[in-house]
Amino acid sequence: MSSYLMARRMAAVVVVGVVVLLPFIFSVYITSAIAVPTLWIGLCAVSLTFLSRYGGMISLAQTGLFGVAGLLTAALMVQAGWDPWAAALIGVLAATGVGLIFGALASSSTGTYFLMITLALAEISYYLFSAVPAFGLHEGINAVFPPAILGDPVLHPTGNYYFLLVICVLVYLFLRYLVRTPFGIALQGVRDDPDRMTSLGFNVRLHRMLIFAVGAAIAGIAGVLSAWNNTRISADSVSLAVTIVVLECAVIGGLFRLEGAWVGALVVTVLTTFGPSFTDRYATAIGIVFLAIVLISPGGLVGIWTWLDGRIRHWLESKPPAAPTPQAAPPPIGGD
Amino acid sequence: MADSDRVEVPPAPEAAAISPHVDSSVVASHRTRRNLGPMIWAALIVFGAGWIAIQVLRNGLGTSGNVPQFIIITLGSVSLAALFFLAAVGLTLIFGLMRVVNMAHGSLYLLGGYCAWALTTKMGVDWWLAALIAMLSVGVLGLVMEQAFLRWNLGQDLRQALITIAISVILADQMLANFGAMPSVLPTPTALAQPFQLGLYNLSYSSFRLFVIGMALAIGLLLWLWIQRTRFGMVIRAGIDDRAMASALGVNVQVVFAIAFFAGSCLAALSGVLGGTMLSLAPGQDVAFLTSSIVVVIIGGMGSLGGAALGAALLAFVETYSGVYLPQNLAPYSMVVTFLLVAAVLAVRPQGLFARAER
Amino acid sequence: MGSRSKVFVLSTITALVVVLSGCSGNAPSTAPVTAPPVTAAPVGTAPGTAAPTVTVAPVGTAPGTTAPSTEPLKIGVLAICGGPFATYQLEAFLGAKFALLNLAGGTSAGQGPEDGVLNATIAGRPVQLYWGCSDATPDAAVAQARLLVEQQHVDILLGPESGDEGVAIANYAKTQPGVTFINGTSGAQITTLQVQAPNFFRFGGDGAQWMAGVGTYAYKVLGWKKMSILAEDYSYPYTLAAGVIAEFCSEGGQVTQRTYVPLSTADWSSYVAQIPSDVDGTLLLTGGTNTTNVLAAYKQLGGDPSKKMLGGSSVMDPTSFVTGDSLVGMAGGSPVPQGSTDATWTAWVNAIQNVYPSVPAQSLFTVIYYNGMQAIIEAMTKVNGDLSNNHAAFNQALSSLTPTFPNGKITLDANRNANIPAYVTQFVKDASGNLSFNVLKTVSEVDETFGGLFSATSPAPGRDQPVCQAGTPPPWAANF
Repeated sequence: MSSYLMARRMAAVVVVGVVVLLPFIFSVYITSAIAVPTLWIGLCAVSLTFLSRYGGMISLAQTGLFGVAGLLTAALMVQAGWDPWAAALIGVLAATGVGLIFGALASSSTGTYFLMITLALAEISYYLFSAVPAFGLHEGINAVFPPAILGDPVLHPTGNYYFLLVICVLVYLFLRYLVRTPFGIALQGVRDDPDRMTSLGFNVRLHRMLIFAVGAAIAGIAGVLSAWNNTRISADSVSLAVTIVVLECAVIGGLFRLEGAWVGALVVTVLTTFGPSFTDRYATAIGIVFLAIVLISPGGLVGIWTWLDGRIRHWLESKPPAAPTPQAAPPPIGGD
Repeated sequence: MADSDRVEVPPAPEAAAISPHVDSSVVASHRTRRNLGPMIWAALIVFGAGWIAIQVLRNGLGTSGNVPQFIIITLGSVSLAALFFLAAVGLTLIFGLMRVVNMAHGSLYLLGGYCAWALTTKMGVDWWLAALIAMLSVGVLGLVMEQAFLRWNLGQDLRQALITIAISVILADQMLANFGAMPSVLPTPTALAQPFQLGLYNLSYSSFRLFVIGMALAIGLLLWLWIQRTRFGMVIRAGIDDRAMASALGVNVQVVFAIAFFAGSCLAALSGVLGGTMLSLAPGQDVAFLTSSIVVVIIGGMGSLGGAALGAALLAFVETYSGVYLPQNLAPYSMVVTFLLVAAVLAVRPQGLFARAER
Repeated sequence: MGSRSKVFVLSTITALVVVLSGCSGNAPSTAPVTAPPVTAAPVGTAPGTAAPTVTVAPVGTAPGTTAPSTEPLKIGVLAICGGPFATYQLEAFLGAKFALLNLAGGTSAGQGPEDGVLNATIAGRPVQLYWGCSDATPDAAVAQARLLVEQQHVDILLGPESGDEGVAIANYAKTQPGVTFINGTSGAQITTLQVQAPNFFRFGGDGAQWMAGVGTYAYKVLGWKKMSILAEDYSYPYTLAAGVIAEFCSEGGQVTQRTYVPLSTADWSSYVAQIPSDVDGTLLLTGGTNTTNVLAAYKQLGGDPSKKMLGGSSVMDPTSFVTGDSLVGMAGGSPVPQGSTDATWTAWVNAIQNVYPSVPAQSLFTVIYYNGMQAIIEAMTKVNGDLSNNHAAFNQALSSLTPTFPNGKITLDANRNANIPAYVTQFVKDASGNLSFNVLKTVSEVDETFGGLFSATSPAPGRDQPVCQAGTPPPWAANF
């Protein structure tokens, strides 16, 4: 058992090592075309996972909010010549504001009805961006570059990669922290039993709106980062197809754990980048993986891992001890 | 247990399946809006109708005026509404009864159209027979889908929504592979090929589109009769209102669901055949009609036939008229106006205009 | 692991990362090792193989170790394989392949679009083909281009297919000076007129050039004085319209209504009903299914497409034949001389139909991808396969090329965009009663500026641009 735990810890160290040292291990292409998109798609997906796990709301409007921030930032930078950081700030604030509005519209419904309403809202955003010329329409806004200090995202992605990694870690830590606060606990109460929470004096709608705004801000950050790293963004960056991709990331990774968002994002990014080279039917392949996950393991890949880990430990525990050794009780099984 | 888990309240098994009801916290706020909402609606409708009336009557009532154009556009709008209604009614019934949003509904629409297209163009089958075969075979496919993927996880609404999304992704890609990306049009049945003389302003209009209007009326009436006047319809209504109670009273809900899903899928396929003849079939139409059906259900309320009719009419009229009667440079915004309609409904009456009172 | 130790570990990682990123900042990545080799489609699969096989990518050699003249030449071809425009994948890929069969000694490995070509050599260098599939969105096009260029290390990229993608790819080209980009059929004007990437070449001209002559044809031949426009709402129709508007208005015509309809609109009949009754005709800029819907509604309202409608280049394409007989008599603009009896053209059409019976030969997608590949072959042969020095000699050879394509002879302007011949063509019925084409007018030497009506500082074509104003008609207008 202890050797298994040790092996597991080593594997975790290796994974962390790979993630931290990725630009030095892999090529420029892999860093900028696989790793970096995984990070910002995962960021958008984690906003969905967060809303689902702690708010009980599966929102398909995250890409719409992603688009608000990304397109507004790109437009301000390219057409009005703004400083990238200022444009990014305005973009994220705008996304949060729109998120509050969406939240207000959708917060009185739950479950699949909420899903449908957020889907309609995402479509509104897409049609709006396809119609307003300031956002570049289908052609989009090109030549969007991140702040000079981060480096060119295509040729020298290292700076951008680390910046994104830091942002993702910070967002993750922030979300973990948020759910421990009284606000976060109230959110989970609202998720589980809104009527009881109302009777306890909580404003359920307000809580839902606020959590939606938090998700919107995160999706907005993802949108800005995607515009910077793709050096472009257009209405088609937030079409329904992209909404489904983000959902696929969140579900394949696992809706019960925040980390699942990035695991799913990695899987989907690799499949969509290299898939078309193998078969024209890569969309079917992703769909089948998605279906299999939903049918077999609602906890996604992370859920499968957790289950597998639990089974191995259970099996190891149930084995009789190899030989009596002068050892204290087996190391406590830490919850990981 | 590590203290990190202490505050991580795992979602209750049914938490993901909270039925889409409006919880009590919003009832109070709705009360103040009860008068405001209809007033705003009335104002919007009056304003809209007035604006259109001005445009239409601007050049007088003669043939050189805008009235003939208005008649054609209105007929187009009504036939589009008929198509939207037929496409959405299956979704609203399934949703109301089973609380399942079948996100593969649009795929069934497109598949029904493609089946009929293959039958008519590749195998020379008569249009009417092809429509019937397509309708029934896609209905069976829907039934198989329900039995295989949805029957055993009743109550897990979100999971079922995700399953149907996955199925729609797979079906869309497979249809692209098998039917190609070229848009296809079904040939109009010979009985309806000649335009119909309207007798006004020397106008004629597509007989087929008028037929679609008639179909929608007929099917709407038949469904209404079925649901309101038959015993089985009573069971369906009971299921929509309170599934658990209906089951407790001895109703075999599984059979009811299967029949409802079959009927809903048949209707989706039939509307695909009609849409494929009236408009066209192409990749992307599945998403378009899923979206329009969802909008119809949001506007009209789930499980409600009248709501579906009203929702379809509103959607078609707003989409068509805004494309035509808005100032020209705003024509690209017609889709946005359509969805503002959705937002307006959500803001005022989120459960839909005709939603039944929840228990 | 307790939560406190987790936070500690994560904070340490964060600190480490911040320090590392501070140090690595703008430094070029030193990673020499490529990711696990994954290649695209077949390099010379055996005839009859249906599915593409995966081969290991040839390891890139260090510069200077092998004589360039025998090193494989890697060409990536990018088209649209998914979504509503996927029908053109067949035309693009087969057109490109046919050039290798015709001009580089290749033999076909199969009829499918992604089947390879065997034994093709250019200047003694064996050709390796890589296929890239986009879905008509610029994001996907750039992602696939990056896969081909940065992962599979193609020397030359042929593509993309659609207007919006072209603008994005031209911008991307600026970041990859060691690769040469030859445009496919993307027709947005600003791709060359404004973006001006030094390694991006467009041998097919832009969408406005494709429509040259249509404006004058409407004004002088059809006698139109007032025109309306009914189009899909994205950049390619804007560019098509720009060519017609600039020409038509320069002669004194007026464009009184411009209706741009969102792409996702299912029902076009109300927009057709809205066409003003006081215009002499309508310019129709739609593709695929929308063409069919519009013409059906138009005829039903008593309109006559042969007299009162002109088609854009997506309308004047074999893929429109599904619309049926209502097309007969309708004219429009096209970059290829559809239905021409010219010997060179008919020989080429027959040759490609012989090898690839399934491909619509008289489609601009087939021809322009063929032309792109032909240009690659000619320029490479000129420089004897030399791609050294960031393709300096090769790019220079491309710039000075004056190739004779199946659809005519072209030269390149200072922005590396072609001065092309354009054609006013018409739908007719041939002797066997099938739909076909007829060339009404040939317009020679159309340049991107339309004789001065457009420049690098003109507003990009859009819903309201160009403005309809009188001016100096382009030089070819006098020939009508």
